[in-house]
Amino acid sequence: MGGSLKVSYREDMGLLQTLWVKVWLGILLLLLLIAPYLLSRYQLSILNEMGIAVIGAVGLNLLTGYTGQISLGQAAFVAIGAYTSGILTGKAGIPFPLSLPLSGLMAAGLGLIVGIPSLRLKGLYLALGTLAFGFIVEYIIFHWDLTQGDMGMAVKTITFGDFSIKSERQYFYLIASLAVLAIICAKNLARSKIGRCFVAIRDRDIAAEVMGISLAKYKIMAFGVSAFYAGVAGCLMAHYQQWIVPGNFDISLSIAYIAMIIVGGLGTILGSVLGAIMITGIPHWITYLTDVFKESYPAFSGLIVDLKLGIFGLIIVLTLLFEPQGLFGIYRRVKLYWKTWPYKY
Amino acid sequence: MEKIIEILINGLSTGVIYALLALGFVLIFKSTGIINFAQGELAMVGAFICYSFAMLMNFPYVLAVLIALAIGALLGGVIDLLFFRRMVGEPMFSTIVVTVGLASIVTCVSGLIWGHDVYSIQSPFTDKTVAIGNLVVSQGALYTIGLSIVLIALFIVFFNRSLLGIAMRGAAEDPDIAGLMGVNVNKIHVAAWAIGTMVAVLAGIFLAEQSFVRLSMSHTGIKAMAAAILGGMESIGGAILGGIIVGVVEGFAANYLSGMELGNFHFGDIKDVAAFAIMIIVLMIRPHGIFGKEKVERV
Repeated sequence: MGGSLKVSYREDMGLLQTLWVKVWLGILLLLLLIAPYLLSRYQLSILNEMGIAVIGAVGLNLLTGYTGQISLGQAAFVAIGAYTSGILTGKAGIPFPLSLPLSGLMAAGLGLIVGIPSLRLKGLYLALGTLAFGFIVEYIIFHWDLTQGDMGMAVKTITFGDFSIKSERQYFYLIASLAVLAIICAKNLARSKIGRCFVAIRDRDIAAEVMGISLAKYKIMAFGVSAFYAGVAGCLMAHYQQWIVPGNFDISLSIAYIAMIIVGGLGTILGSVLGAIMITGIPHWITYLTDVFKESYPAFSGLIVDLKLGIFGLIIVLTLLFEPQGLFGIYRRVKLYWKTWPYKY
Repeated sequence: MEKIIEILINGLSTGVIYALLALGFVLIFKSTGIINFAQGELAMVGAFICYSFAMLMNFPYVLAVLIALAIGALLGGVIDLLFFRRMVGEPMFSTIVVTVGLASIVTCVSGLIWGHDVYSIQSPFTDKTVAIGNLVVSQGALYTIGLSIVLIALFIVFFNRSLLGIAMRGAAEDPDIAGLMGVNVNKIHVAAWAIGTMVAVLAGIFLAEQSFVRLSMSHTGIKAMAAAILGGMESIGGAILGGIIVGVVEGFAANYLSGMELGNFHFGDIKDVAAFAIMIIVLMIRPHGIFGKEKVERV
């Protein structure tokens, strides 16, 4: 199969399995470090958006890809994180290093509550429950004076003591390091006992329960962890955009997150990263393309808003129909092909 | 008292629309096992098609409705052939997400064709009212209620008496065994999607009659899902009762709760989330709906 020989459990569970993985990751880290000095401000802003999306998508994949619990309400948790941090830093004067984990915890707390019905609900019912939760959160944000509804809310810049983050480059280092941290945590979670319990629940919940896995504990935990990630992503998004309105967090954001993990590959961390990068990148590529045609077809430039959601939908449908494993599946196939070349296996 | 009856009748007229949408939903679910999250979007497309024919091309209203129904049936069949023919037997997650994707595609395409403006359809019932004693009720509402009741009765007969209806139920229960029994499962699926979409289109036209034609009317689909859940996904009677409950509760919420304030929280258009609140409560207490039966899982 072209795999590498492992002689101990420790090796099999290792985070960095081969020398080449270490080398490539090292190169990637180096690239991340020097990227801000090579790219333009616009390109950096796209990378920042991608970084935030990576955090949210990894969280959703832990819930949906690993534990198999469908959530159509990820945007609600992102919103909770964003507004929590906005209110904490703006109205209560709490510094950002504290409000970041707090917004994650706030989302996680509500995630635990949403997780409780998941003990009784499966598949469709859970999808609907989370969808309804998303609508209710959106409604509350609209109608509560604290969140300033339709008017939107200004969010303060990030400050660490006297040092405040302003430029795109500084944001990049903050977001990238948090995204890397999020990926490492998720990877560690996935290879630990908890991650294996998640997968067991996804594959066959009754069998998992028979084996002694507490369904209640791990399902609720999955919801909590996933919501925590979403909350952190929301907090970063709020501080990065510095202006949040309820419309940012509607159903289309939830669908975008679903698209990310499906395109990337369900149940893989690398997949969620790839998916987040691709789905966040697509609107920018379309903008780029329509810019080229703007001279000859001026009507094109306005289409992007209309097209975005439809293209996400199309990508979801096509991926599920033709490549259910997503980008990660393609990557694995290509890798296997070259590893065993010129043999078939 | 009169106000309450008026609210009841208006609630009933939105309720039967939810019931119709929920019916189309249950219909597709019962025969293909697929939960169609795009039901509301299909209703919206139907309303837009009816609008295009009735208002832009000046067809007579009834003819426009019939054309919309025919196009809807065609659309449903095509959707099944294109997307769901190859999804038979896939896990529920995939089918649900495919319909979610389908919903956003439909919204996107309709946005491109008809734009984001708000339109209204002039029907023979627009702005006409009927006075019963002291009550003033719009003709459209009565007409909607009447037609829906007839349709719903037809569906119940169809599922319990006709060969196609029974074959549909069989195909949902177990596609493989139904196939062995001589049921053409593929044909059944196309038929279910066609009929389900047609019902959705009709609901969309009724909805347009009561309010406007616009992209956001597709949210009604999710409320209808709340209705279907309330009644239990498997049961037609449940879907109807669920729809009516949701409609009436919405009516009362809109009338009595809308203006209220709780501290610095304004209730505003609470009508729009009432359905979801009911749904979450029902899911917590009776996850399988009022009439749904709990499924025994075999290991």
